[in-house]
Amino acid sequence: MFFLKMAFKNLTRHKRRTLITALIIAFAILIYIMTEGLMIGMTEMSFNNIINLESGHLQVAKKSYWEDRKELPLDNLISPTEELENKIEKTTGFKAMTKRLNFSVRLNNGIDELPVTGVGIDLGQDRKVFRLNKYLVKGRMPREGSSEIIMGTKLAELMGFKNGDYAILLFRTDEDTFNTIDGEIVGLFNTPHPSLNESSVFLPLSTAQSRLNVEDKISHYAIRLTEQDQAIPAAEELNSRLKDPYHAYSWKDAAQSLVTMLEMQEIETQVILAIILTLAAVGIINTVILSALERMEELGMMKALGMHEREIVYTFMLEAAGIGIIGGSMGIIMGVIGLAIFNINGIDMSALTAGGDMTYGFPLKGTIYAGWELNSFIFVFLYGVFISILASVFPALWAARKDPVKAIYHR
Amino acid sequence: MFALMRNSERSYQLKILLIISLLSILLVGITFLAAAQELTADEIITRRDQNEYVIKAYSESKMIIKNSGRTMVKTMRSWQDGEKALVVFTNPRDRGTKFLKRGDNLWMFFPQAEDLVKISGHMLEQGMMGSDFSYQDMLESDDLTELYNFKLLGEEKYKGRPVYKLEGIKVPGKEVSYYRRVVWIDKERFVGLKEELYAESGRLLKEAVVLEVDKIEGRWYPVRMIMENKLRKNTSTEFIIQKINFNPELPEDIFTLERLR
Repeated sequence: MFFLKMAFKNLTRHKRRTLITALIIAFAILIYIMTEGLMIGMTEMSFNNIINLESGHLQVAKKSYWEDRKELPLDNLISPTEELENKIEKTTGFKAMTKRLNFSVRLNNGIDELPVTGVGIDLGQDRKVFRLNKYLVKGRMPREGSSEIIMGTKLAELMGFKNGDYAILLFRTDEDTFNTIDGEIVGLFNTPHPSLNESSVFLPLSTAQSRLNVEDKISHYAIRLTEQDQAIPAAEELNSRLKDPYHAYSWKDAAQSLVTMLEMQEIETQVILAIILTLAAVGIINTVILSALERMEELGMMKALGMHEREIVYTFMLEAAGIGIIGGSMGIIMGVIGLAIFNINGIDMSALTAGGDMTYGFPLKGTIYAGWELNSFIFVFLYGVFISILASVFPALWAARKDPVKAIYHR
Repeated sequence: MFALMRNSERSYQLKILLIISLLSILLVGITFLAAAQELTADEIITRRDQNEYVIKAYSESKMIIKNSGRTMVKTMRSWQDGEKALVVFTNPRDRGTKFLKRGDNLWMFFPQAEDLVKISGHMLEQGMMGSDFSYQDMLESDDLTELYNFKLLGEEKYKGRPVYKLEGIKVPGKEVSYYRRVVWIDKERFVGLKEELYAESGRLLKEAVVLEVDKIEGRWYPVRMIMENKLRKNTSTEFIIQKINFNPELPEDIFTLERLR
């Protein structure tokens, strides 16, 4: 109790110094919380974009198709059967499923041509799995059996299309023969998923199938579950029932490269935190050495009166812990305020990228919001206090080991 | 007397000979005409290909590419031997750029970067050097009668020349780029004068028009043609053969990747 009192008194003895040292820690924690919040926010939004607009929670495709799916091949397609669909429907947490057919298209406006992805969608089911219709900014979804198409505002702008214009889709059928669709643009969407806005054209599945001469074949099923967290176990469960060549893939498999990238980012954040807190630790060491030098005579006297070395070290450590707690609390308060501002206003991605559409590889655009995680608050607070205590050990030992006589007459 | 007799005998023989030869010419002519009239669509295509399909050749040519008001002129030298072909560009801007075709494979060599690139996948769909000929067009095999069912649509006049108008529809199951093609073939010279290439939906994709044919080494050959991509406005590619030699001495190893570098 005595050490605690003394440590507290020492803290209040030089209020300004204590405050400045604590501020270093507070800022380190603030930076960490903000970075982490931004990361969590971007991760969540990216995952949501992928799930809501690109992959759903689960996808079922043939293994051989999945491997080359980026090439948009027309072989290894699935011929839908009731048996397969029944199996899919039995998945735990199953909510809805839809059929999609992806193919490679050259979008033509009479002057230029642009390679894009054509996506045939099952209009009745698609909205139960994907949220594309929510992001329509003009017009409506295509009608079943028509040659109506929808595309991103960004793509339309690039190709000089307006709602109501006709676009020529040029593609090769499964026999490599050219075919075209004169697609009437009936809707424009603006999703938070940039690549979808820039390079996808959606049309009714039946139209795509008949023009590609693939009968009723599809490239994959997309499935929505009731809970996002169920995706990985549900994929495993479904795979135990699916026969080769069919295979179920969770959204994490679909976004493999993004998941890997985010893991790397996470390590990066930790490294930044470590560097900042190391700098803060230098500040603590400095503070402890200063107060020890100041109190040299005092320490000598206390030792002469019978205080143990250990007890002196404790006093200093407690003092440092105090600085850590003050800094940590300030940091967390500042962080919470920062995140709150961040969350109310959001950060405009285009401001970060100087008005451009660079997204640093994240499938998101527009305004982003930070995420919260209580665990990371607790972690960073404890980490701050721990670093403070650790930094004080050596200067405290140095001071405590002084000979009392020399300490008293240390001049 | 003897000589006179011999002389009259000779003149008699000559007469017979003349009659026979005249008859035979007439006969050949008639059969030829009859045959020409009864040529099937496939035979017409084959006879055109005999003229146009080159097995071995050396040529010097020029390509005038027009794209939205911009004009580019490219000159090239090319060597061909069956399935293999080499094109070397000679205009200042592209000097040293080379294409090598071996069967179904196509490579491109850029001299500045000293880089060798195999053209595959989506790149095959691009226009070659910015022209309206795609790389895929360069690779496609020329044996059209196997890939298309040809039908004679009629005989008409095209730019003052009598022509056959034929239509080819893709044979089901064959992998070809164009679903339907319509060709106008000169009835006497068996050279294609115009060709339209259609998509399965019926949309006209490309149109090739021959502007000039020339008799080279005994065969009629198109030496100036213009290709238009009908899906894109204001683009055309004119192809002019300035010199062609059908029986050249080809340097050894000319069609190898080693020589390309």
